[in-house]
Amino acid sequence: MVLIILLGCWNFAALRSIYRICQKKYVLFDDRFTMTLCMNTAMITSFVFALYVSFLFPSFQVASIMLGLGIGWKFGTVLKNPAILTGLYNGAMGGIMGTMLGVVLKNPALCNIPIESDAMIAANMYSLSLFAAGLHTLVMGLIRYSFTV
Amino acid sequence: MSSFIISFLVYMEACIFAGIFMYLFRKKKLIGFQLGMNISQVMGGMAALLTGVLLIQQFPFHFTLITIISAGTGLAVGGVFGLLFDYQTFITGLTNGMIVGLMAPMIGSVVEVPVLFLWFIHGLFFVSFLAIYFSIQRS
Repeated sequence: MVLIILLGCWNFAALRSIYRICQKKYVLFDDRFTMTLCMNTAMITSFVFALYVSFLFPSFQVASIMLGLGIGWKFGTVLKNPAILTGLYNGAMGGIMGTMLGVVLKNPALCNIPIESDAMIAANMYSLSLFAAGLHTLVMGLIRYSFTV
Repeated sequence: MSSFIISFLVYMEACIFAGIFMYLFRKKKLIGFQLGMNISQVMGGMAALLTGVLLIQQFPFHFTLITIISAGTGLAVGGVFGLLFDYQTFITGLTNGMIVGLMAPMIGSVVEVPVLFLWFIHGLFFVSFLAIYFSIQRS
Protein backbone atom coordinates (compact mmCIF):
# COMPACT_ATOMS: atom_id res chain seq x y z
CA MET A 1 0.00 0.00 0.00
CA VAL A 2 2.92 2.37 0.69
CA LEU A 3 4.09 1.84 -2.90
CA ILE A 4 0.70 2.91 -4.29
CA ILE A 5 0.65 6.04 -2.11
CA LEU A 6 4.19 6.94 -3.27
CA LEU A 7 3.20 6.44 -6.94
CA GLY A 8 0.13 8.62 -6.35
CA CYS A 9 2.31 11.42 -4.93
CA TRP A 10 4.67 11.17 -7.93
CA ASN A 11 1.80 11.39 -10.43
CA PHE A 12 0.23 14.25 -8.51
CA ALA A 13 3.49 16.21 -8.69
CA ALA A 14 3.62 15.73 -12.49
CA LEU A 15 -0.04 16.80 -12.82
CA ARG A 16 0.57 19.85 -10.62
CA SER A 17 3.45 21.08 -12.80
CA ILE A 18 1.37 20.71 -15.99
CA TYR A 19 -1.49 22.59 -14.30
CA ARG A 20 0.82 25.48 -13.34
CA ILE A 21 2.09 25.75 -16.92
CA CYS A 22 -1.51 25.81 -18.22
CA GLN A 23 -2.46 28.52 -15.74
CA LYS A 24 0.40 30.71 -16.91
CA LYS A 25 0.17 30.26 -20.66
CA TYR A 26 -3.48 29.51 -21.55
CA VAL A 27 -3.81 32.69 -23.63
CA LEU A 28 -1.28 31.41 -26.16
CA PHE A 29 -3.09 28.18 -27.13
CA ASP A 30 -5.37 27.83 -30.14
CA ASP A 31 -8.59 25.77 -30.13
CA ARG A 32 -7.13 22.56 -31.46
CA PHE A 33 -4.21 22.44 -29.05
CA THR A 34 -6.56 23.20 -26.15
CA MET A 35 -8.79 20.29 -27.11
CA THR A 36 -5.89 17.82 -27.48
CA LEU A 37 -4.29 18.88 -24.21
CA CYS A 38 -7.52 18.73 -22.22
CA MET A 39 -8.61 15.38 -23.68
CA ASN A 40 -5.37 13.50 -23.09
CA THR A 41 -4.50 14.94 -19.71
CA ALA A 42 -7.98 14.47 -18.24
CA MET A 43 -8.32 10.93 -19.59
CA ILE A 44 -5.00 9.44 -18.44
CA THR A 45 -4.89 11.30 -15.13
CA SER A 46 -8.39 10.36 -14.04
CA PHE A 47 -7.73 6.75 -15.11
CA VAL A 48 -4.59 6.48 -12.96
CA PHE A 49 -6.08 8.21 -9.90
CA ALA A 50 -9.30 6.17 -10.08
CA LEU A 51 -7.17 3.00 -10.22
CA TYR A 52 -5.25 4.03 -7.09
CA VAL A 53 -8.35 5.10 -5.16
CA SER A 54 -10.19 1.87 -5.96
CA PHE A 55 -7.13 -0.09 -4.78
CA LEU A 56 -6.83 1.84 -1.54
CA PHE A 57 -10.54 2.18 -0.62
CA PRO A 58 -12.41 -0.66 -2.38
CA SER A 59 -15.79 0.12 -0.80
CA PHE A 60 -16.12 3.74 -2.05
CA GLN A 61 -16.65 3.28 -5.77
CA VAL A 62 -18.46 6.56 -6.29
CA ALA A 63 -15.50 8.49 -4.85
CA SER A 64 -13.11 7.53 -7.65
CA ILE A 65 -15.63 8.46 -10.38
CA MET A 66 -16.22 11.79 -8.67
CA LEU A 67 -12.45 12.30 -8.51
CA GLY A 68 -12.24 11.77 -12.30
CA LEU A 69 -15.09 14.24 -12.86
CA GLY A 70 -13.35 16.78 -10.61
CA ILE A 71 -10.04 16.51 -12.48
CA GLY A 72 -11.79 16.99 -15.83
CA TRP A 73 -13.75 19.99 -14.48
CA LYS A 74 -10.59 21.57 -13.05
CA PHE A 75 -8.68 21.35 -16.34
CA GLY A 76 -11.67 22.51 -18.35
CA THR A 77 -12.16 25.64 -16.29
CA VAL A 78 -8.48 26.58 -16.57
CA LEU A 79 -8.45 26.23 -20.35
CA LYS A 80 -11.76 28.11 -20.91
CA ASN A 81 -14.41 27.75 -23.56
CA PRO A 82 -14.64 24.52 -25.62
CA ALA A 83 -12.50 22.58 -23.20
CA ILE A 84 -15.05 22.25 -20.38
CA LEU A 85 -17.24 19.70 -22.19
CA THR A 86 -14.23 17.71 -23.42
CA GLY A 87 -12.66 17.68 -19.97
CA LEU A 88 -15.83 16.59 -18.21
CA TYR A 89 -16.59 13.81 -20.70
CA ASN A 90 -13.08 12.38 -20.83
CA GLY A 91 -12.55 12.69 -17.09
CA ALA A 92 -15.76 10.79 -16.36
CA MET A 93 -14.86 8.09 -18.89
CA GLY A 94 -11.35 7.64 -17.47
CA GLY A 95 -12.73 7.51 -13.94
CA ILE A 96 -15.27 4.79 -14.81
CA MET A 97 -12.64 2.71 -16.64
CA GLY A 98 -10.10 2.97 -13.81
CA THR A 99 -12.73 1.94 -11.26
CA MET A 100 -13.65 -1.08 -13.39
CA LEU A 101 -10.02 -2.24 -13.71
CA GLY A 102 -9.39 -1.77 -9.99
CA VAL A 103 -12.50 -3.72 -8.96
CA VAL A 104 -11.67 -6.57 -11.35
CA LEU A 105 -8.08 -6.82 -10.06
CA LYS A 106 -9.30 -6.83 -6.44
CA ASN A 107 -11.80 -9.63 -7.14
CA PRO A 108 -10.76 -11.66 -10.23
CA ALA A 109 -13.72 -14.04 -10.04
CA LEU A 110 -15.89 -11.27 -11.53
CA CYS A 111 -14.18 -11.73 -14.89
CA ASN A 112 -13.66 -15.53 -14.77
CA ILE A 113 -9.93 -14.97 -14.45
CA PRO A 114 -8.43 -18.08 -12.83
CA ILE A 115 -6.28 -16.46 -10.09
CA GLU A 116 -6.66 -18.01 -6.67
CA SER A 117 -4.03 -17.02 -4.09
CA ASP A 118 -3.76 -13.66 -2.35
CA ALA A 119 -0.07 -13.29 -3.21
CA MET A 120 -0.88 -13.47 -6.95
CA ILE A 121 -3.56 -10.78 -6.55
CA ALA A 122 -1.11 -8.49 -4.72
CA ALA A 123 1.62 -9.06 -7.34
CA ASN A 124 -0.84 -8.27 -10.17
CA MET A 125 -1.97 -5.15 -8.35
CA TYR A 126 1.53 -3.81 -7.81
CA SER A 127 2.79 -4.58 -11.32
CA LEU A 128 -0.24 -2.98 -13.00
CA SER A 129 -0.05 0.13 -10.81
CA LEU A 130 3.68 0.46 -11.64
CA PHE A 131 2.82 0.10 -15.34
CA ALA A 132 0.07 2.72 -15.13
CA ALA A 133 2.42 5.13 -13.33
CA GLY A 134 5.01 4.62 -16.07
CA LEU A 135 2.40 5.34 -18.77
CA HIS A 136 1.28 8.49 -16.95
CA THR A 137 4.89 9.68 -16.72
CA LEU A 138 5.38 9.01 -20.45
CA VAL A 139 2.26 10.96 -21.50
CA MET A 140 3.09 13.85 -19.14
CA GLY A 141 6.62 14.05 -20.58
CA LEU A 142 5.23 14.14 -24.14
CA ILE A 143 2.76 16.88 -23.22
CA ARG A 144 5.48 18.91 -21.51
CA TYR A 145 7.60 18.53 -24.64
CA SER A 146 4.69 19.78 -26.76
CA PHE A 147 4.76 23.17 -24.99
CA THR A 148 8.20 23.83 -26.45
CA VAL A 149 7.37 22.85 -30.05
CA MET B 1 -11.71 -21.75 -31.27
CA SER B 2 -8.52 -23.66 -31.81
CA SER B 3 -5.27 -21.89 -31.13
CA PHE B 4 -4.08 -22.25 -34.72
CA ILE B 5 -6.94 -20.13 -36.05
CA ILE B 6 -6.30 -17.44 -33.43
CA SER B 7 -2.60 -17.15 -34.22
CA PHE B 8 -3.47 -17.07 -37.93
CA LEU B 9 -5.87 -14.18 -37.25
CA VAL B 10 -3.18 -12.26 -35.31
CA TYR B 11 -0.76 -12.67 -38.22
CA MET B 12 -3.43 -11.62 -40.73
CA GLU B 13 -4.20 -8.46 -38.78
CA ALA B 14 -0.53 -7.51 -38.60
CA CYS B 15 -0.39 -7.79 -42.41
CA ILE B 16 -3.59 -5.74 -42.83
CA PHE B 17 -2.26 -2.97 -40.57
CA ALA B 18 1.03 -2.88 -42.51
CA GLY B 19 -0.96 -2.59 -45.76
CA ILE B 20 -3.11 0.27 -44.43
CA PHE B 21 0.04 2.04 -43.22
CA MET B 22 1.66 1.79 -46.68
CA TYR B 23 -1.55 3.07 -48.31
CA LEU B 24 -1.75 6.05 -45.93
CA PHE B 25 1.95 6.80 -46.34
CA ARG B 26 1.40 7.34 -50.06
CA LYS B 27 -1.74 9.47 -49.58
CA LYS B 28 -0.65 11.55 -46.56
CA LYS B 29 -0.39 14.80 -48.49
CA LEU B 30 -4.13 14.65 -49.24
CA ILE B 31 -5.29 14.23 -45.63
CA GLY B 32 -5.95 17.16 -43.32
CA PHE B 33 -5.37 17.11 -39.59
CA GLN B 34 -9.03 16.58 -38.68
CA LEU B 35 -9.25 13.34 -40.64
CA GLY B 36 -5.75 12.40 -39.47
CA MET B 37 -6.79 12.64 -35.83
CA ASN B 38 -9.77 10.37 -36.46
CA ILE B 39 -7.63 7.87 -38.39
CA SER B 40 -5.02 7.60 -35.65
CA GLN B 41 -7.68 7.16 -32.97
CA VAL B 42 -9.56 4.44 -34.89
CA MET B 43 -6.42 2.54 -35.87
CA GLY B 44 -4.85 2.58 -32.39
CA GLY B 45 -8.11 1.55 -30.74
CA MET B 46 -8.81 -1.25 -33.22
CA ALA B 47 -5.26 -2.67 -32.94
CA ALA B 48 -5.43 -2.68 -29.14
CA LEU B 49 -8.93 -4.22 -29.08
CA LEU B 50 -8.07 -7.03 -31.52
CA THR B 51 -4.78 -7.85 -29.76
CA GLY B 52 -6.30 -7.90 -26.29
CA VAL B 53 -9.36 -9.99 -27.15
CA LEU B 54 -7.50 -12.52 -29.33
CA LEU B 55 -4.62 -13.03 -26.87
CA ILE B 56 -6.87 -13.39 -23.82
CA GLN B 57 -8.85 -16.08 -25.69
CA GLN B 58 -5.65 -17.96 -26.45
CA PHE B 59 -3.84 -17.65 -23.09
CA PRO B 60 -6.48 -17.14 -20.34
CA PHE B 61 -3.99 -17.56 -17.45
CA HIS B 62 -1.78 -14.49 -18.03
CA PHE B 63 -4.08 -11.52 -17.45
CA THR B 64 -1.47 -8.95 -16.35
CA LEU B 65 1.08 -9.74 -19.05
CA ILE B 66 -1.58 -9.59 -21.78
CA THR B 67 -2.85 -6.26 -20.45
CA ILE B 68 0.68 -4.85 -20.67
CA ILE B 69 1.22 -6.30 -24.18
CA SER B 70 -2.06 -4.98 -25.60
CA ALA B 71 -1.55 -1.52 -24.04
CA GLY B 72 1.92 -1.41 -25.60
CA THR B 73 0.52 -2.49 -28.98
CA GLY B 74 -2.18 0.16 -28.94
CA LEU B 75 0.35 2.80 -27.90
CA ALA B 76 2.78 1.86 -30.66
CA VAL B 77 0.19 1.57 -33.46
CA GLY B 78 -1.62 4.79 -32.51
CA GLY B 79 1.68 6.63 -32.24
CA VAL B 80 2.98 5.37 -35.58
CA PHE B 81 -0.26 6.24 -37.41
CA GLY B 82 -0.30 9.65 -35.71
CA LEU B 83 3.32 10.42 -36.63
CA LEU B 84 2.26 10.44 -40.30
CA PHE B 85 0.47 13.74 -39.79
CA ASP B 86 1.32 15.91 -36.80
CA TYR B 87 2.56 16.03 -33.21
CA GLN B 88 -0.93 16.46 -31.71
CA THR B 89 -2.36 13.53 -33.68
CA PHE B 90 0.58 11.53 -32.28
CA ILE B 91 -0.39 12.29 -28.67
CA THR B 92 -4.10 11.69 -29.31
CA GLY B 93 -3.61 8.32 -31.01
CA LEU B 94 -1.14 7.19 -28.34
CA THR B 95 -3.45 7.98 -25.42
CA ASN B 96 -6.56 6.52 -27.02
CA GLY B 97 -4.85 3.27 -28.03
CA MET B 98 -3.39 2.92 -24.54
CA ILE B 99 -6.76 3.33 -22.79
CA VAL B 100 -8.51 0.86 -25.11
CA GLY B 101 -5.63 -1.59 -24.68
CA LEU B 102 -5.94 -1.47 -20.89
CA MET B 103 -9.67 -2.28 -21.19
CA ALA B 104 -9.63 -4.93 -23.96
CA PRO B 105 -8.57 -8.12 -22.04
CA MET B 106 -11.39 -7.54 -19.54
CA ILE B 107 -14.15 -7.73 -22.16
CA GLY B 108 -12.34 -10.65 -23.81
CA SER B 109 -12.44 -12.70 -20.62
CA VAL B 110 -16.03 -11.77 -19.73
CA VAL B 111 -17.67 -12.66 -23.06
CA GLU B 112 -19.92 -15.74 -23.23
CA VAL B 113 -19.86 -16.84 -26.89
CA PRO B 114 -16.31 -16.20 -28.11
CA VAL B 115 -16.75 -17.14 -31.79
CA LEU B 116 -19.63 -14.73 -32.37
CA PHE B 117 -17.79 -11.93 -30.60
CA LEU B 118 -14.62 -12.49 -32.66
CA TRP B 119 -16.60 -12.32 -35.91
CA PHE B 120 -18.35 -9.16 -34.69
CA ILE B 121 -15.00 -7.49 -33.91
CA HIS B 122 -13.61 -8.38 -37.32
CA GLY B 123 -16.75 -7.04 -39.00
CA LEU B 124 -16.35 -3.80 -37.02
CA PHE B 125 -12.73 -3.51 -38.12
CA PHE B 126 -13.70 -4.06 -41.77
CA VAL B 127 -16.51 -1.46 -41.60
CA SER B 128 -14.23 1.14 -39.99
CA PHE B 129 -11.60 0.51 -42.66
CA LEU B 130 -14.23 0.99 -45.38
CA ALA B 131 -15.35 4.27 -43.76
CA ILE B 132 -11.76 5.54 -43.65
CA TYR B 133 -11.20 4.53 -47.29
CA PHE B 134 -14.27 6.36 -48.57
CA SER B 135 -13.55 9.48 -46.54
CA ILE B 136 -10.01 9.59 -47.96
CA GLN B 137 -11.41 9.22 -51.48
CA ARG B 138 -13.86 12.05 -50.89
CA SER B 139 -11.33 14.49 -49.42
